[in-house]
Amino acid sequence: MPARWKQDFPVPSGEDSYVTRREFTKFLGLTSLAFLIGTCAAATRKLAKQFFRRDETSVAVAGIQEIPVGGHKLFRYPTENDPCILLRLAEDKFVAFDQRCTHLSCPVLFDAAKKQLACPCHEGFFSAEDGRPLAGPPKRPLAQLLVTTQNAQVLVSQREVQSA
Amino acid sequence: MNPGMQRRRRMNVVLQMVTTLITAILLGQLWLFTVTLEAMENPAASMSVATAAAICSVVACGSVWVLIRFFLNTEQTETGERS
Repeated sequence: MPARWKQDFPVPSGEDSYVTRREFTKFLGLTSLAFLIGTCAAATRKLAKQFFRRDETSVAVAGIQEIPVGGHKLFRYPTENDPCILLRLAEDKFVAFDQRCTHLSCPVLFDAAKKQLACPCHEGFFSAEDGRPLAGPPKRPLAQLLVTTQNAQVLVSQREVQSA
Repeated sequence: MNPGMQRRRRMNVVLQMVTTLITAILLGQLWLFTVTLEAMENPAASMSVATAAAICSVVACGSVWVLIRFFLNTEQTETGERS
């Protein structure tokens, strides 16, 4: 038998959780708006990244004779928080990449014998030629820097922008 | 069944159809969001991918709001009341 107070003061619990059609459609509309804001924010960030990258100038990171063929040098570019790796693959071929693995940002290491960059954390492998992922969890290529040589110096500049 | 109840049931069916359509659009927007995040993280990705995804998301959001307005207007016309 229900308590006496429930009879005297009935609580309309069904109405308490009742959602009107207008409220429901409003929820759907706001969800869509949230997705739109997120997408626009990400697109704006991408745009800002590319815009500011254009201002980055070339910097000398090593002398040509400093790195033997099959050797490498670590440097930081464009800020102290951006570790990069410069590789000498042939007498006249230098390539440079962001050293952070595109999986979970562990530093990649150069394996000259296999001409690969290896991520020791989760065994991800990248081609030393162009940074494309070869094996393991990484799905995206390493960010590549533009490398030029001038006056016996190796210069790096903005990241190469390739079409996806 | 009285006419008022019939109208109400008809509006529930319309709401289900609109909800299904909106859910499909929302899933599309979720996918566009992930595509844009991927483009943001990947320096090699083209800017046009992120731009196209943002434009499609604007269109999708507009469609959702148009569908909602359509449903609410239809409901008000049919039942003469605001739910």
